[in-house]
Amino acid sequence: MAKVTSAGSADSSGRKQFWQPLRHARWQRWLDRRLPAAHSVTLDHRKLFVLPSGAGLGFTLVILLLWLLGTNYENNLVFAFDFLLVGLMVVLPVHTFANLSGMRLQLLEAEPAFAGDYGRAKIALTQTGKRFHERVHLAWPSQEGALVDVTGGRDARDIWIDLPLLRRGRVRAPRILVESRFPLGLFRCWSWVDLDVEFLVYPQPKSAGPLPVGATSGDGEHERVYSSGGDDFVGLKIYQPGDSLRHVAWKQFAGGRDLYSKEYASGSDARLWLDWDLLAGREIETRLSNLCAWVLEAEHAQIPYGLRLPGQTLAPGLGAAHRQQALTLLALFPVQGVSH
Amino acid sequence: MIRGVSQLQTLLPRESLLWIFAAQLVVLLPHFAHLPVWLVGAWCAAVYWRYQVFLGRREMPGKLIKLLAVSLAVAGLALTYRRWFALEPMVALLALSFTLKNIELASRRDALLSLLLAYFLAATLFVFEQTIPYAVYGIFCVVVITAALAAQQGRASARPKRALGLSARLLAQAVPVMLLLFVVMPRLGPLWAVPQNSSKASTGISDSMSPGDFSQLSKSAKPVLRIAFDGALPPPEQRYWRGLVYTHFDGRRWSEPDAGVYRWGRSNRAPGGDGSERPLPAVGPRYRYQVIMEPSQNPWLFALAWPHSETRGVRETDDDTLVYRSPVSARLAYAVHSWPRESIARAQSLNPLEQRRHLQLPASGNPRARQWAEARRREGMSAEEISAALLARYNRDFTYTLRPPELGRDTVDEFLFSTREGFCEHFASSYVFTMRAAGVPARVVAGYQGGEWVAQEEYLLVRQYDAHAWAEIWLPERGWVRVDPTAAVSPERIRDGLQSAAAEEFMQDALLPLHKFAFVSRLRLQWDMINYRWYQAVVRFDHERQQGLLQRLLGEVSPLRIALFLGVPILVALLLLLAWLNLSSRGPVLPPASRAYLRFCHRMARAGLPRKPGEAPGDYASRIEREMPRLGPMVRRITVAYEKAAYSDDESAEKQLRKLLRSFWPLRLLR
Repeated sequence: MAKVTSAGSADSSGRKQFWQPLRHARWQRWLDRRLPAAHSVTLDHRKLFVLPSGAGLGFTLVILLLWLLGTNYENNLVFAFDFLLVGLMVVLPVHTFANLSGMRLQLLEAEPAFAGDYGRAKIALTQTGKRFHERVHLAWPSQEGALVDVTGGRDARDIWIDLPLLRRGRVRAPRILVESRFPLGLFRCWSWVDLDVEFLVYPQPKSAGPLPVGATSGDGEHERVYSSGGDDFVGLKIYQPGDSLRHVAWKQFAGGRDLYSKEYASGSDARLWLDWDLLAGREIETRLSNLCAWVLEAEHAQIPYGLRLPGQTLAPGLGAAHRQQALTLLALFPVQGVSH
Repeated sequence: MIRGVSQLQTLLPRESLLWIFAAQLVVLLPHFAHLPVWLVGAWCAAVYWRYQVFLGRREMPGKLIKLLAVSLAVAGLALTYRRWFALEPMVALLALSFTLKNIELASRRDALLSLLLAYFLAATLFVFEQTIPYAVYGIFCVVVITAALAAQQGRASARPKRALGLSARLLAQAVPVMLLLFVVMPRLGPLWAVPQNSSKASTGISDSMSPGDFSQLSKSAKPVLRIAFDGALPPPEQRYWRGLVYTHFDGRRWSEPDAGVYRWGRSNRAPGGDGSERPLPAVGPRYRYQVIMEPSQNPWLFALAWPHSETRGVRETDDDTLVYRSPVSARLAYAVHSWPRESIARAQSLNPLEQRRHLQLPASGNPRARQWAEARRREGMSAEEISAALLARYNRDFTYTLRPPELGRDTVDEFLFSTREGFCEHFASSYVFTMRAAGVPARVVAGYQGGEWVAQEEYLLVRQYDAHAWAEIWLPERGWVRVDPTAAVSPERIRDGLQSAAAEEFMQDALLPLHKFAFVSRLRLQWDMINYRWYQAVVRFDHERQQGLLQRLLGEVSPLRIALFLGVPILVALLLLLAWLNLSSRGPVLPPASRAYLRFCHRMARAGLPRKPGEAPGDYASRIEREMPRLGPMVRRITVAYEKAAYSDDESAEKQLRKLLRSFWPLRLLR
């Protein structure tokens, strides 16, 4: 007998385990069909759900108790009072729904972030109709998110919402919960919106000791590496965004030529190569994290750096654009196909 | 997953605190009348404390203080009421619970609980009072509480104008639902016995009568009974609304021993009871009427002699009065049939116990009255003759006055032989005393006499100043016979009421002698009529009236018709809602051709090939031709038709487009 029950319970729990993800997947599929991903979404009756909140259930309990009071005392005024509250419960879902209906959400940008940090997405909230949208709560579930009123004119209200990011690479954000309990908090109107948010997540920086200045793992061939940190003028190069404005060759620019920046070299011939092979023996993710830390350090120390990854090389340079390029390479470094 | 959202959702917005206090104050205000004073003080103290916290001058109370507050409050309740299952302790408990909640009002959940309690407390108000002002006040309460609820939503919502406006608008929209439910929801009747409020001081006629009581009542113009007749109206001199019979005299005070309990327990007409079951004549003259009685906090009801009532909770006593199962603590309506005594032949005699009861006199006192009665009896006069002689005496040298002189120890003697000025109670008391002394069973009856006929609404309005006491004597061949000694002195009191009988003295002590202005009296009567109508239409809307109204509305009360009656408004509301949804979520109205084309795009999207933003119809068609060649020709034709309809105002193209679309279902075609 005992055996049978235990077998049964094992069976049922197994079934549960089997069903749960399936149901979840089904729900996701249904959501995907009903609320497809888009950078801009306008909420309407196809996308919004309304149900009583916990407070609404409490309110219903009061209604029931009052009905009992009215019945037992045969008191019509208590009945009238009670039915007025019922009426409130009837009209409220419409108001709660109307508060969100017609609101447009638009993804403006998703800031790149380091793994282990929060990614931030900037979202514009706009009214498409005349109605205001009050007490709108936007969040990736389990995050606090933002609580905003979209009122006053058709100006967009821009908000930032955060999502913790753990894995490097391109991370597709889950659906955003848009929710409001306005006006009385007795009903909850919500939607799961997929704004097609994708974060570029850099590896988590993990220090690997001091910068490997002078260390090369190449074939020993001398390369000249210039660093804008030096004092000797070397020549001109086409201006690139991110170059310091102090080094722009204004004289040449005034003479009608393109925008050039002057290049300086430090006296030393330090060539900073942040090389994959320098970190041989560590795990891939650790290596990437270490390289990431070096990139940040080099940028901080204003030492031009190059990046060598298996199959990919980034020529030395400096500046925001360069940094981003380097970090992007690290972020998107494939997991497969790496030797060593 | 959503639980983590907390912070933003749970913390109590600062502005909302004042709203909660406002809601509590509004709800408590009318309850202050019957709540103990210390509870009011406790509420003020709690609010003060919480307000200091709000200002940052004080901390939230610690556990110890909270515990102390709770135990003090509970002890206070226990000491004040000494019982729990009554209405007032229940209300006090509710008031107490949100008072105590005030000192730990921190989260949204606390605020919600407090406001839900406020709703409940506001509704209990109607158990105490059901008049129009209270109903209006109740509406005010709901508006304020709902506004407080709205104010919980944040700073913008907490602005007074905004919160009240929102609340009023929402409630106004809820009214149709309320009306519908009020008419349709079945009234089940009490599911279990409920505690009534009890400790309220009673007004009106009490269970005993001593000199001065009734002249006290004559100072009040408060309505007591409103009586609507079904058929004949009794003439003014027959309008004796009997309420209570006093049989016991202690020399000064007439009373009814254990009035309520004793009579309810001893009430007759229960088959197999004490054998005094009285057959009711099926036909014959009788009055049929409905009485609406104001709360009196006493169980006795008022009716014409020999009443019979089939209203639930009402019983007849063997004193020919009606009693209610519990003290009347809210307005009560009951229906009565009354047979005039003369119309019922009675061949019974008084049993010895009753005889003794109605001849009881104190052992000593009032010697002159006893002497007088004894002398009449010795002269060989019958009961009727003695009564007539006594009434003649009254008629000859007595004065009817609202301000009788004080009486000393032998009240009857002093009244009969020296002061000779009195009010109904003096006449009734001395008459019954003397008759008993003469050996005639007699009793004092207290109730109301007369009433004002309100012609517009057709009801008789009986006020407190119509309170009256008269006598009944037992005549072996006729049974109990009503004798009103006051009528012997002042017949106009019986015919026209107190105001004309004692014009000079009437309501002399009133702060404002409003009754002297005709228009004020008229206004008062108007107000009473409105009240009466209110009571008939709303407060008394019971199962029978509901059925009656539904019958009038529907013609016949059948489940189908009720379903229709309920269903049609709901259906209409839903349709309106749907229309509004569609209108509100649609952008600017597109020309028909574009709408048709959008339908086409929608179907294609479902088939897995959505149109890209900004893609021209021609390009889209080409792409479809490439990716779904089977649909190609059809798509091409639709696109051409659309372009023609949209850009060359070709009406036939539009028709063509619609025709093509009717058979274009890519999902089915591709299968």
